Amino acid sequence: MTFKWIWGYIRPYKHLMLLGLLMTLGASALALVNPFMTEIIVDRVISNGETGLLTAIIGITVAATLLKSIIRYAFQLIFENVSQNVFKTIREQIYDKLQKLDFDFFDKNRTGDIMAKMTGDMEAVRHFVAWVIYMVFENAMIFIIAAIMLFIIDCKLAMLMIAVTPAIAWFAVRLAMEVKPTFSSIRDQFSRLNSVVQENISGNRVVKAFAKEKFEIEKFEKENSAYRERNIESAEIWEKYLPVLDSLAGSLSVVMIFAGGIKVINRSLTLGELVAFNSFIWALNNPLRMAGWLINDIERFSASAEKIMSLLETEPRIKNPEAPMKRDGLKGSVQFRNVGFSYGDEKVLENINFTAKAGQTVAIIGPTGSGKSTVVNLICRFYDCTEGEILVDGINICDIDVRKLRESISVAMQDIFLFSDTIEGNIAYGVPDATFDQVQWAASAAGAHEFICGFPDGYDTIVGERGVGLSGGQKQRIALARALLKNPSILILDDTTSSVDLETEHKIQKTLKSFYRDRTTFIIAHRISSVKNADLILVLDEGRIIEQGRHQELLNLKGYYYNVFVNQFGDFDSVYEQEVV
Amino acid sequence: MARNKFDIDEELTSPFNMEHALRLLAYLKPYKAKIFITVVLMLISNIAALSGPYLIKIAIDEFIPQKNIPGLGLLSVIFLLTLIISGICLKFRIRLMSEVGHRVVENIRSDIFANLQKLPFAYYDSRPHGKILVRVVNYVNSLSDLLSNGIINLITDLFSLLVTVGYMLYIDVRLTLVSLAGLPPLVIAVFLVKDIQRKRMQALSMKQSNVNAYIHESICGMKVTQSFGRENENFRIFSELGSEYRKYWMSFVSSLFIMWPIIENISVLGAGFLYLVGISQLGKGVSVGVLIAFVSYIWRFWMPITNLGNFYNAIINAMAYLERIFETIDEKPLVDNLPGAVDMPAIQGYVEFRNVSFGYDEGEKILKGVSFKADKGDTIALVGPTGAGKTTIVSLISRFYDLDSGTILIDGEDISKVTLESLRSQMGIMMQDTFIFSGTIMDNIRYSRLDASDEEVIEAAKAVKAHDFISGLKDGYYTQVNERGSRLSTGQRQLISFARALLANPRILILDEATSSIDTKTELALQEGLERLLKGRTSFIIAHRLSTIKNATKIMYIDKGNIVEHGTHAELMRAKGAYYKLFSAQYSLLEAM
Repeated sequence: MTFKWIWGYIRPYKHLMLLGLLMTLGASALALVNPFMTEIIVDRVISNGETGLLTAIIGITVAATLLKSIIRYAFQLIFENVSQNVFKTIREQIYDKLQKLDFDFFDKNRTGDIMAKMTGDMEAVRHFVAWVIYMVFENAMIFIIAAIMLFIIDCKLAMLMIAVTPAIAWFAVRLAMEVKPTFSSIRDQFSRLNSVVQENISGNRVVKAFAKEKFEIEKFEKENSAYRERNIESAEIWEKYLPVLDSLAGSLSVVMIFAGGIKVINRSLTLGELVAFNSFIWALNNPLRMAGWLINDIERFSASAEKIMSLLETEPRIKNPEAPMKRDGLKGSVQFRNVGFSYGDEKVLENINFTAKAGQTVAIIGPTGSGKSTVVNLICRFYDCTEGEILVDGINICDIDVRKLRESISVAMQDIFLFSDTIEGNIAYGVPDATFDQVQWAASAAGAHEFICGFPDGYDTIVGERGVGLSGGQKQRIALARALLKNPSILILDDTTSSVDLETEHKIQKTLKSFYRDRTTFIIAHRISSVKNADLILVLDEGRIIEQGRHQELLNLKGYYYNVFVNQFGDFDSVYEQEVV
Repeated sequence: MARNKFDIDEELTSPFNMEHALRLLAYLKPYKAKIFITVVLMLISNIAALSGPYLIKIAIDEFIPQKNIPGLGLLSVIFLLTLIISGICLKFRIRLMSEVGHRVVENIRSDIFANLQKLPFAYYDSRPHGKILVRVVNYVNSLSDLLSNGIINLITDLFSLLVTVGYMLYIDVRLTLVSLAGLPPLVIAVFLVKDIQRKRMQALSMKQSNVNAYIHESICGMKVTQSFGRENENFRIFSELGSEYRKYWMSFVSSLFIMWPIIENISVLGAGFLYLVGISQLGKGVSVGVLIAFVSYIWRFWMPITNLGNFYNAIINAMAYLERIFETIDEKPLVDNLPGAVDMPAIQGYVEFRNVSFGYDEGEKILKGVSFKADKGDTIALVGPTGAGKTTIVSLISRFYDLDSGTILIDGEDISKVTLESLRSQMGIMMQDTFIFSGTIMDNIRYSRLDASDEEVIEAAKAVKAHDFISGLKDGYYTQVNERGSRLSTGQRQLISFARALLANPRILILDEATSSIDTKTELALQEGLERLLKGRTSFIIAHRLSTIKNATKIMYIDKGNIVEHGTHAELMRAKGAYYKLFSAQYSLLEAM
C-alpha cells in the first residue's frame, strides 16, 4: 500500500530514478573490481614476481575507484534530488489539504499532531526515497551479481550456500512484522510529545501565571520518558533478530569452507575455484547483513507513510458543489430559513429565521454560548447547517463556490489570531497587494493608526503569534482593520470591540457608519451602544431567536433586550445622577 | 526587542567551538560504564570477525591440501562459535547503545524544556513558536543516532586504527610511513571542505526552522486564512519556502557527499603507492610475507578512516542542531530566584509599590516612579487609556519582570527576595489572552490547584456562573476541549479561565479585562457573586466597563506611566478630574451612540 502510494510520487521522476538505479548497478559492479585486483597483486605480482603487471593493475584500480566514486556521487545526488522533489510535492499536498479541511477538523486535531506529520513523518518518507531505495537495490545487485558468479564457478556449492537464505528470509519477514507496530507506537508517542511541548509553548503565559512549571515539567517528563521507552521497545525487537540475521549471513562462509573443502578433497572442485569463491563471499554476506537494518528503515517509512496517507485522505465535510456558482461580487443579502445546527448530539442552533437585505446592519446579542458566533460561522460556511438553508443573494450558499463566497465576506473573529509578521502585513493579510495608503486607511478607520504610530517601528513593528505583546484592545483593532481592508459585501464583526474603551469605540463607530452603509454588516456585541443603531437586532438564547426587531421595538417588548438595556444604561443613569447631582 | 518571523533567519549568537562537543560528552558521562562495556564487546566481536578470514586461510593452506576432514569440521565449529560470539556481542551492543542514546536524548530534551519554563514572556513573544518547538523535539531527535552508534563506532574505529598502525610499525617502519603518506592530503582536504559543509548545514537548518515556523503558524491561523480566502497566497509562500529549502538541502548534500569519494580515492592512491614502493624494495629488506601482510593491513588501516569520515559527516549534521540546542539551554532567564531566596509565607494581602520604575526596552520607561499602597482585602481598580501601563503594573506584582528601580512589597516582603513559585502560587491571575489546554474542562479549571477535588472545581465554576453552560454540554465537566478551546465561545473560555483563577484560592487576585466577552446578564450575575469572592482577598481589576469598577475600594487613574488620581468612585467624581471626565465622557458617548 505504502509502496504503491510513494510510487505515485516517484513516477514523474522515473527516468531520473532509472538512471540512478543503472548508475547504482554500475557502481556495484565496479565495487567488485577492487578486491579482484588485490587478489591479482598478491597472487601474481608479489608471489609470482610478475612485477610488470603492477602499474597496469594499480592504474585499473585507481581508475575504477575514481569512476565508482564519481558515479556514486552522481547517483546519490540524483536520489537526493528526486527525494527532495517528492518531499516537496507531498508536503505541499498536505499543506493544500490542511487549507481545504474545515473548522471541524481543526477543532478536533491538535496542532502538535499535525506538526508531527509535517516534520517527523515526512523525514522518514524523505529518508526512504533518498537512501533506502538505492541501498536496497545496490545490495540486491551485489548479491545477485555475486550469486551468478558463484553459480558459474560451481552450481552445487552455490546451491548449498544459497540454502541458508530461506532461513534468513524467514527471520527477516518476522522482524518486519514485529518491528512495524513498534514504529507506529514510536511515532504516536512522538506526536504526543510534540503536542505537550507545543501547548506548553503556546500556553506559556498561563503556565507562569499559576507557577505551574513543575507540573508542566512532570507532564513533559512523562511523555519524554515514554518516547524513550517506545524507542527501546523497538530496539528490543532488533536485538532479537539482527544478531540472528548477522550470524546466519556469516554462516555462508562456514558452509563454503566445510562443504567446499570436502568437495575439493573429493576432487569435485579445484582449490583455485574455492579461493575464487572465498573472494566473493563478502558480496553475499554483506547484503544479507544489511537486510535487517534496511527492513527497519522500510518499516519506519511505512508507519509514517500511513499517517500521512490518512491525513491526505481526510475529506473535509464542507465541499465545493459539483457545479459551483462562480459569481463575482455578491451583493450581500442574507436569508436564514429554518436553520438548525448541531455539534454532534448537541443542538447549538434551532429554527433560525431572518432576512437581511443588502446594505443592512444586523446585530446579534445574547448570553455567552447562545450560538451567536455559530450564526456567522454558518454564513461563511465554516460549518454546514444541519437543518434548513441559508441564502445569499437568494442562492443557497451550498451552491456557491466556497472561495467566491468567502471572498465576499470579511470576518473579524472573536478569537483573534495575528501572524508573526509586521503590523502592516497583518492588516494586509486578506489583500496582500494592498498599498500602504490603504493599510493606513483601514488602521485609521479601526482606530488603530494612533497607537501603531506610537511604536518605534510603526507599521513595521513585528507582532508575535497570537499578537502577544499587544493589549486585547490593540489586537482587536488590528483584526478589525484587517477585516475592513478587504472591502467585502458582507462584513462580520464578532465581538470586535469588547476590549476597546468606549471613547475609541465611539470614534470607530462614527468612522464606520458610512462603511456599513455599503455592505451587509453583522455585529455581535454585548454593549447596547454597539447594537442599537442596527436595522435588525436578533436576540439569541439557547440557540433560538427569542426577540428580533429594531432597538425601539425591542425596548417596547420589555424582554431580554430591555433588561440588558436597563442594566447597562439605567444603572449608569442612577450612578451618574447620584454622584453628580 | 527585535522580533523574529517565519522568513527571517535566526542569527546564531554563539560561534562554533569545541565546548559544544565537550558538553555533549558530559551528557554521556553517567553512562560511561555502559559505553565501556560496549567498546569491550565491540573489540571482542572485531576479534571474532577478524578470525574468520584467518580460519579460512588455515583451511585452504593446510587442512584441505592435507585432506584433513575432521580438522575441517573442527574449524567449521570454531568458525560457527565466532559467529555466535559476535552475534551475542551485537545483541548487547544494540541493547546498551539504544539505551544510552535515548537516555541522553531524553536528558538533553529535559534540560531544554526545564530551561524554557524559566524563560520570560519576552522569549516566547519574540519568535514564532514553531521555531521553539522544533528545537525541543526534532533537533534533539536528530542527535540520537550520533549519540548511540556514532560515538561507539568512533571509539572502536580509533582503537582499531591504533592497533593496526601499531602492528604495521612493528612489522616495518618504512612501509608504515609510506602507508601514512595519504594522511596529510586527506587532512588538508578535510579542512578545506569542513568550513563549507558547516556553513551550508547552518544555512540549511535556518531554512528548516523557517519552514517549520510557517507550517506551525499556518495551522494555528488556519481559520483566519480560510475566512480571508488567502489559501492561494499562503500556498505560494509555502511553496517558495519549500523551494528555498530544497535548494539549500541540495547545496548541503552536494558538499556532504564529497567527503567519501575524497577519502576513498586517497586511500586507493595510498595503497597503490605502497605496492609500488614495496615491490621495488622487494629483497632489499622487504620480504614477500611482509608485503602480503601490509596489503591486508592497508585496508584495515583505511577502513576506520573511511568510517571516521562518516562519523564526521554525522557530526557536521548534528553540530548545527547542537548549537541551537545549547543556545536554548543557555538562554538566561530574565527573572529568576535570587540566591538565598526564601519561600513567601502565607500572603495576607498588603501590597505596596515604592517608587517603581520599569520599561520593557531600555530607554523606554513605561512606569515612572509609581507608588501606592493596598490594604488587605482591598479591591483596586485600574483605569486609564490604552497603553498607559495598567497591565504592566499588575504583571509586576507577579514578578513577571524585574524592576528598573524601586521596590514592590507584599506583606512587607520585597517580592524580588522570595521564590517565584511561592509568590505566584498564591496569586490568581486571569489574563486577557485565555488559553485552554487540551483535555477536559475539569482538568482545565483544576490546572491552578492540582489537588482540588471535583466538588471544589464545580464550586469554582458555580461561583463564576460557568456551571450552567458546562452542565449543558453533553459530557459536562468531562467535555474534551482543545488548545485554543475550539467549540467554546470566547465568553465561555473567559469563564473557565476565571474559574481556574479562583480555584487557586489566591490571596491576591488579578483580573485583566476578565469579563470583556461575557454578556451583560452573566456579568451581572457574576458581579453579585464577585463581591463575596473578593472578600478577604486583595484584588486588582482592569476593566473598561465602569459598572465593574465603581464598587472598588480604590480606583487609580493611570496615564503615561503614573498614577494621576486615586480614591473611591465618589471621591474621584467630586474631584472632577480625569476620572470624572472619563466617566462623563462615557455617559455622553453612550447617549450619542
